[in-house]
Amino acid sequence: SNPFSSLNLPGDVRSEQQHQQQKVSNQSSGPSYRKDQYFSKGQSRGERGRGRGAWQGGHQSVSEEMPKYITVSTFAQARAAEINAMLKAVSQKSSNSLVFQTLPRHMRRRAMSHNIKRLPRRLQEMARKEAEKAVHQKKEQSKTKCRKARRRHINLVAEFNHRQRKNIWLETHIWHAKRFHMVKKWGYCLGNSPTEKSYRACYRAMTKHCLLQDLSYYCCLELKGKENELLKQLARMCSTDAGLTFQEAHCLSGRFEGSLNLYRADRYPEDMLGPVTFIWKPWDGSENRQLWIWVHPALKQDILKELKAIFQCSEPEEICITEPVTTSTQEEKQVEVVTSLGNKRKKEDKEGEKAVPVKKIIGDGTRDPFQSYSWIAQTTGIVISDRSMEILRYRLIGPLSHSVLTETLKAASIQTVRKLTELNNWWVENCKDSEKISLHQCQSAIFQLLEGMSSPSEMPPGTILGLTVGDPRVNLPKKKTKAVPDFEKYQDNDKVRQLYLKGVPLDCAHSFIWDHDICKNVTENKISEQDLNHMRAQLLVPGSHLDLGPCESKIPILLVQQPGKLAGEDRPGWGSGWDIYLPKGWGMAFWIPFIYRGVRVGGLQEALKHSEYQRTPHTPNDFPDCQAGMQFARELETSLLEKFKRRPPAKRANYVKLGTLSPFICPWGQLTKNWEGRMKASGGFLCPSSLHPESCTTEDATHEGSNSIGITREENIESSGLSEKLLMQLSAWCYPTAGKDQRIRLISQLGQKEMTEDVFLPILMSYPRALVWVNLSLLRKGNPELHAMICIPTEDDLLHLGKDKLFCGPQEPKHRDIFKDKIKKQKEEKKKKKRKDNVKSLEGDPSDIPDKEATEDCEDLILGLWSDALPDVTSHCSRTVLGYVTQGDFSLAAGCGEALGFVSLTGLIYMLHNQPADKKGLVLLRTPASLQYRFARLNIEV
Amino acid sequence: MVRFKNRYVLCEVVSEDPRCRQCIEDRALQLAVRDAITRVHGDYGLACCSISFTVKYLNAYTGTVLLRCRKDSYRLLCSALPFVRYLESRAQRYPCFLNTLHVGGTIRTCQKFLIRYNRTQLLRLLQNCTNEEERQCIQKSLLSCSLTEEQSHSADEEEDDGTETD
Repeated sequence: SNPFSSLNLPGDVRSEQQHQQQKVSNQSSGPSYRKDQYFSKGQSRGERGRGRGAWQGGHQSVSEEMPKYITVSTFAQARAAEINAMLKAVSQKSSNSLVFQTLPRHMRRRAMSHNIKRLPRRLQEMARKEAEKAVHQKKEQSKTKCRKARRRHINLVAEFNHRQRKNIWLETHIWHAKRFHMVKKWGYCLGNSPTEKSYRACYRAMTKHCLLQDLSYYCCLELKGKENELLKQLARMCSTDAGLTFQEAHCLSGRFEGSLNLYRADRYPEDMLGPVTFIWKPWDGSENRQLWIWVHPALKQDILKELKAIFQCSEPEEICITEPVTTSTQEEKQVEVVTSLGNKRKKEDKEGEKAVPVKKIIGDGTRDPFQSYSWIAQTTGIVISDRSMEILRYRLIGPLSHSVLTETLKAASIQTVRKLTELNNWWVENCKDSEKISLHQCQSAIFQLLEGMSSPSEMPPGTILGLTVGDPRVNLPKKKTKAVPDFEKYQDNDKVRQLYLKGVPLDCAHSFIWDHDICKNVTENKISEQDLNHMRAQLLVPGSHLDLGPCESKIPILLVQQPGKLAGEDRPGWGSGWDIYLPKGWGMAFWIPFIYRGVRVGGLQEALKHSEYQRTPHTPNDFPDCQAGMQFARELETSLLEKFKRRPPAKRANYVKLGTLSPFICPWGQLTKNWEGRMKASGGFLCPSSLHPESCTTEDATHEGSNSIGITREENIESSGLSEKLLMQLSAWCYPTAGKDQRIRLISQLGQKEMTEDVFLPILMSYPRALVWVNLSLLRKGNPELHAMICIPTEDDLLHLGKDKLFCGPQEPKHRDIFKDKIKKQKEEKKKKKRKDNVKSLEGDPSDIPDKEATEDCEDLILGLWSDALPDVTSHCSRTVLGYVTQGDFSLAAGCGEALGFVSLTGLIYMLHNQPADKKGLVLLRTPASLQYRFARLNIEV
Repeated sequence: MVRFKNRYVLCEVVSEDPRCRQCIEDRALQLAVRDAITRVHGDYGLACCSISFTVKYLNAYTGTVLLRCRKDSYRLLCSALPFVRYLESRAQRYPCFLNTLHVGGTIRTCQKFLIRYNRTQLLRLLQNCTNEEERQCIQKSLLSCSLTEEQSHSADEEEDDGTETD
């Protein structure tokens, strides 16, 4: 081995110095020779050495003072190593230009870059290497054949199928990928927001026309079994205190869709699993019921695991395994008929397995075909199956969504003639039964009547309407139109009025989509786009309406009304719409006709805005007490921190100076703990003699309002779940109790108890660590941001506001950056250590390793961020912190800044108790990167 | 584009004391040379030479040193180099002198010269060998100092993971 292998190029002088030390000691060992033996002749240049010898040995005069021995081997090796290094340096190109570019101009020749032989011979070698490299790179860029080959249908489908294996694609993926910024979330590829400018346009669509959204990524968990068995177990997962349960009468009948929050079995009010919506299959006389639970994909694993646990479903069901086999054989047959001759030839070219025609993946591409996705309980016979991606779900938001629906969909025609193929078998079978025909006619009549409604919010919330429709591709308009209702037609129609009053009758909720076999049949017997176009081309009059007759597919669908904004006073019913459930495979067939009716399509961002304007919590952002919510908060924190670090240090906000303790995550646990501590520490703060004039409202609770269906959510980190009644009470307390009579009337309606100690003390005792979901609207200027702090105004602030109507809000005094010195010191230490390390390594001291470790553990001090454990978050700033904002923006719907967030229940009661009657519910908002407080009104909507 | 033209002076540190190698380092050498220039040419000379003056390369084992200065003032530098009498570092001082081997316009020419020069040195060493052991030793190192084709090839090969975009 060559001890000088690390000899340097001109660049690294320093490393070489470190090596030097060790080598010197080596030098003494080894064979030594008399120097004068091999330099006996002396050198001509040596005369300049002024009679001195040198270890160099290269050229020196023979002198008496010279050392007597020198090592030949080391001497020679040192030279050799240097030659090596130099050779390497010389043979390398120094610049990043091409070889022929380094030639002087007069030596350049035409086409040098193509023909290597035109270069001087000494450069040819290098040029060849360069050319090879370039070819190599190019090859990697275009992995496969030419574009034409890649775009060939069969290859394209194979490519798409390959790419779907990692993340699930929705059926509208290709459509979205061309128009949206795509993100990978929860194992799906989803459209985040449109690439075009459409923020305001989407809002306008939501309020005036219709916004379409593909919600197929929501997961459907299907439960089948005896009704009482199901209910008995499911009751353990939810509570009547928190709203609906699965047992709710009008949901259980299958007439309405319900929504609720799930908890771990018997753990209410702790261990929340997340919000779900559920639909019961309408009761059909038998004991066995079918239930769909629709969950967000972020919550799916938790909920599925819990469901499996409570029903003791462990064995995978057998049926599922055979399913993919049968489908594939059928598909093959079908494809065989359809594929043209050209394709067949290509199939023969490929060998073995690949010769099987590639089939487009419908549904979940990541699923293992031999793994079962349904589980059965041996004792009770309850079957849980994971039906995600089997049922598609589109959401239409906006007042005209039903006119889009009525224009796009036409109820299926009755068919009695049986065809030879499997197509529509089930429908023919169904049409034999006169009762079922009448039901279908009833459903289609109601569906037609929907056009006469002015807004979907006029229907009872969660109305379900089942329907069987014809192929929507048949009556596709030639041009994109905007669906508008024709109100005159329904001006005084009794039937419409009937529909208003009574809603959709129970029978009409029935749909064939509940039946797996029918769904499978419908998916498999879809007429392909190609065939449809072929048939269109063969029409006698081009462009006329295509009548498929008995060949037209019949698709069972389910329409579910979304209630929109229920709580609060302003904008009732805003953001209402319809959800449409389809069997898989029909995604694009319904999507394009919707687009042709002038709807606007939104992505995840639009969904977030929708829930923000609706003032409802968004899944999973606003559920900090369930696993998915915590996960989301952590991810958000890391991404925000990354973003923060990407800025140059001088351009970052110094959050320590701004008094913001945690700008990237809301410390809920800390907040509730601090408030609990505050209450305990100063046990008396809640018990000053009540001086505040609260005499305006003396009525006792008249009606509790416990029977209303609320979507208000109560939040609990540690221990408590607030009941709806309590929330109503709180909501009433938030209004200013003095002043306008209208308010008072409202409060008396809500049934408010007077805010006295004996009312709120038990609340405090039972829920010491609860959070309350609130919404805030700013009084004047200001745009609340994510993680803005909700603070309690001092009395001076309120006085100032009372005097000066234009008062924007107080300012937070600047804080001192207590970490600055620490960071500086650390930096200096690091520098010193570096220097010391250098010295040490020069001296060959290996003991510097533990020091390095010591520096690394306090590495993550970043200027401008609080680096210690958080102190008391409530009292860190000049105004006491009550809670944090989780969604905040300028609201186009309200015309001012609006924010949604959580506040500590203890803090809220404390604040309300101490505020004067006419200023109740006023809070201050401060965004993390600003010192300015802004006044906002706090509301709890029930 | 007009560039600043430099001169690169390739020298050899010659000392009788093998411990002098410890002193061959960036700072010590610079100090010694600057000191010599001040002594010979005074402040003016120092100022002239110190524009872009650096030690570009140095090898303690062979004692090779490459200095850079502006083309206008390289004569001042070259004339001062013989007056370097010692190198001093870490409170140790060893007598030595600098032997100018080559003055070039680019680093590359200096490198080329150094290859040639070292090769002749080795060959001369080989000729003057007295016993067989020595001869073999030198031959081995002579053989080791040539670039082979395979080496450069292996460096070129890189594996790229084709990343997919969905």
